[in-house]
Amino acid sequence: MDTLTPTRTPEVSSQDLPLAVMLGWRIIVALGLIAATIAVAFAVGIEVEGTLRWVFTAALAISSALAVLSIQWTRTLIHRGRAVGFFLDYLIAVGGAFAMAQAADLFVGLDTAAARFNESALFLLITVVGWFIGGFAERTSNPALVRRISRSTMAAGLAVLLISMGLLPGLLEFARRLTGPSVFIPLVVALIAGYSARLLWSDRAARAFNTDQRQAEVLDGFFFVSPNLIGFLTFLAGPLLVSLFISFTDWDGLTEASFVGLENYGRLFSDSVFLTSLRNILVFGLVAVPASVIPGLFLAALLNSKLPGMKVFRAIYFLPSIAGVVGVTLIWKNLLNATVGFVNYGILRVTELFGSITGAELEAAQPLWISGSSVALFSVMIVFAWQQLGFNTVLFLAGMQGIDQSLYEAADIDGASAWNRFRSITVPLLKPTTVFVVTNATILALQLFNEPFILQAPSPPNGPNNSTLSPVIYLYQNAFQRFRQGYASAVAWALFALIFAITLIYFARQDDEGVLSA
Amino acid sequence: MPDAPTQQQDRRRRLLRTIVGRGGAYLILIGFAAIMLFPFVYMATGAVKTPSDTFRYPPKVLPRVPLVAEIDGEEREVFSLDFGSGEERAVLVETGVDAGLFVDPDDPERAVPWPLELATETGSSVNMEGESLPTYEVELVAGTETLALQRNTAVGRFQQLDGDGVTYAVPRTATPAETIEAQWGNFSEVIGLRDLDRALTNTMLVTILVVAGTLFTSIMGGYAFARVRFPGRDKMFLAYLGSIMIPFIVLIIPLFQLMVGLGWVNSIGSLVWPFLFNAYGTFLMRQFFIAIPKDLEEAAFIDGAKRGRILWTIFVPLSWPAIATLATFMFLYAWNSFIWPLVSINVANADNFVLTLALQQLGGTAGESPNLLFAGIVLSVLVPFTVFAFAQRYFVENVATSGIK
Repeated sequence: MDTLTPTRTPEVSSQDLPLAVMLGWRIIVALGLIAATIAVAFAVGIEVEGTLRWVFTAALAISSALAVLSIQWTRTLIHRGRAVGFFLDYLIAVGGAFAMAQAADLFVGLDTAAARFNESALFLLITVVGWFIGGFAERTSNPALVRRISRSTMAAGLAVLLISMGLLPGLLEFARRLTGPSVFIPLVVALIAGYSARLLWSDRAARAFNTDQRQAEVLDGFFFVSPNLIGFLTFLAGPLLVSLFISFTDWDGLTEASFVGLENYGRLFSDSVFLTSLRNILVFGLVAVPASVIPGLFLAALLNSKLPGMKVFRAIYFLPSIAGVVGVTLIWKNLLNATVGFVNYGILRVTELFGSITGAELEAAQPLWISGSSVALFSVMIVFAWQQLGFNTVLFLAGMQGIDQSLYEAADIDGASAWNRFRSITVPLLKPTTVFVVTNATILALQLFNEPFILQAPSPPNGPNNSTLSPVIYLYQNAFQRFRQGYASAVAWALFALIFAITLIYFARQDDEGVLSA
Repeated sequence: MPDAPTQQQDRRRRLLRTIVGRGGAYLILIGFAAIMLFPFVYMATGAVKTPSDTFRYPPKVLPRVPLVAEIDGEEREVFSLDFGSGEERAVLVETGVDAGLFVDPDDPERAVPWPLELATETGSSVNMEGESLPTYEVELVAGTETLALQRNTAVGRFQQLDGDGVTYAVPRTATPAETIEAQWGNFSEVIGLRDLDRALTNTMLVTILVVAGTLFTSIMGGYAFARVRFPGRDKMFLAYLGSIMIPFIVLIIPLFQLMVGLGWVNSIGSLVWPFLFNAYGTFLMRQFFIAIPKDLEEAAFIDGAKRGRILWTIFVPLSWPAIATLATFMFLYAWNSFIWPLVSINVANADNFVLTLALQQLGGTAGESPNLLFAGIVLSVLVPFTVFAFAQRYFVENVATSGIK
């Protein structure tokens, strides 16, 4: 990448950068951060409760140190000064913008937008129509023109939508809220920091700080990854650590948490209800996973034959994965109705038919699918397997399409039957896919929640005699109904450990495959 | 050529085997297709049934309503009765006709309620189950029979609809005539009943924002991981990869507390803002970008283009398949998510319901009107099914790529 170093001579010298102003800003940032550190650490003006206070203090202290160092680095125009300055300014800009939006109620303001959207959602159709016009561009004589029409229709649709959603009054309202200092001050800080970051990012700054290409790339890298990284840290990595911490405490989610060490985990093993949920989920997995995987393998083998109509079948099998588990489970709940449901009626008719053929006196079983404690879990298995089957079929199909066709051709010449080809070519070569499908279905099965929750409603999702209680349902009840969030977190981590173990087995098996095929 | 007949035989046998094999394959495929489709057919027809029709036994797939006929400007229920030549439509014209319940002495199971005025006493009697019953000559529709009078009762007089035949039956137990008719009003009723339109537009808004936001962050992050060198990049990417397997339920408690702390709980924002980034999406975009040849961007670099420009003008236009695949993945994820809205949105705050939540509430309370519940489910799957019809390829691709990882 060294060839990419700009070959042009710098047209602008370092004098073009308002260095004195920038240095001033660096000093302000350092002082501000130090003040914030002290305020949080000694609870002057800013009160942060509990452990979070020390996390905040540490983060602010590190930032302060960096800010102080960046003053010196900026003064001597060391490239590190540019990177650290950019990093701090960017964070301050994001933080300021966040504080501004939070103070102006922009985040929760989405509720109002949603209410307006309800009245003007039809304008979205204009955008959709525009998108469709674009789809026809290639078939017309003037694709460029059609594409432009498509694009302007889509833009016009969005504009009409936003205006009818009250964009203009919304902006006026926002401007009115800006007069409040809690909105105005963060906004000004964000704008200055943002401008400074923009300036430091520019080529001019790069030259002024004698940055080489590689160093310049670092800034780009962090900039591009930052929207993602901020989300990752705030909504995944952070909560993950917090979750682990909560699992070592006794906490109702409202008052102060008390640290109890491993007590929650110890209790898990003697909690008969939790053990029941584990047993349920294992029984469930042992039945529901094969029931959704094995037919999927055979269906995929049939779909893989190049017969006409296979795409239609594939689409039909995939429908349950699209429909959404809540709707699908509610449909099944009615089908499984013990008195007027189609399932029991079907059993009755099949038994009658069978009886009339064999002449035997048969009594049709009419199970109470939802409320019978011996079959309630079985109903959940039916719904799960039915919904997962098509997804697994498509996964298998994708795996099969990766198998070298010449193997089948060679087998054909040898006169191998379809079953033999399936057994000795498809199944062994499909093993990596099979391992993935089984692992994926198992992980989904272990997280069972929606199906029993909806099938059993309005009764508690535990089902009769806790027969449909899954670990996630137990977690939900502990966390949000009994407010034992520490214990619920321990349940979550126990389940996570189980899933992690299964994933490890998966990777080990995939590795085996790699060795074998090498 | 002594071999010729066996060759021909062999060919014929092969052909037969192919036909049987293919026929069997189609039979299995159609059988499973029926299993997959039947619940949806049941949902669609259930959505246009009347409430009582959903509780009928034996259950019927198609929606049926009792037939009514207008007679003398009056709406009358139509029954299906025997007038001697099979079932025919009839209306009730008179009730409370004095009648007797006549039983067949040869077949005590057969009992016919019939007007006394159409029966003449024979004077004799029969002994049935230890009881002595008088016998009558009864003028039934099919002809006159000798039956025993068990007890007195009342029947209704029915007039044939397309003729002038008359017959008698107990109105309460007479089979009503039915016709197949859809109740389209169910849709507007369920929308009005549960603000389902609000839930629908809320879900649309949440989905649009989540899909657009995830695409944006994934394209940016995927590009950085694929093409820009910065310290810690590969370790960070490994952390992203590992995070894909973290089950959401591990995060649900701290995420809920975070929402409480920020004051976002119970707002639609809580369904959007935490979900604008997705590790799997970043991974997907990175894998696609890394396969794009480097020569394409180098020319632009030499011209002094910035990375942002290169990303949006060179990489993104080349990546529509990957973007569409990610969009379908996020669309399904956002549209169908249930446990998080259940935790975050208060049950009393119906204004902020998404479809999954609204349906779950409807399912819990609509015990007496499954037809409305079905109508709600139809509304909830309409958008995903439409999108699927147009973008099937990308849905399937999404599944396939998830298997390759």
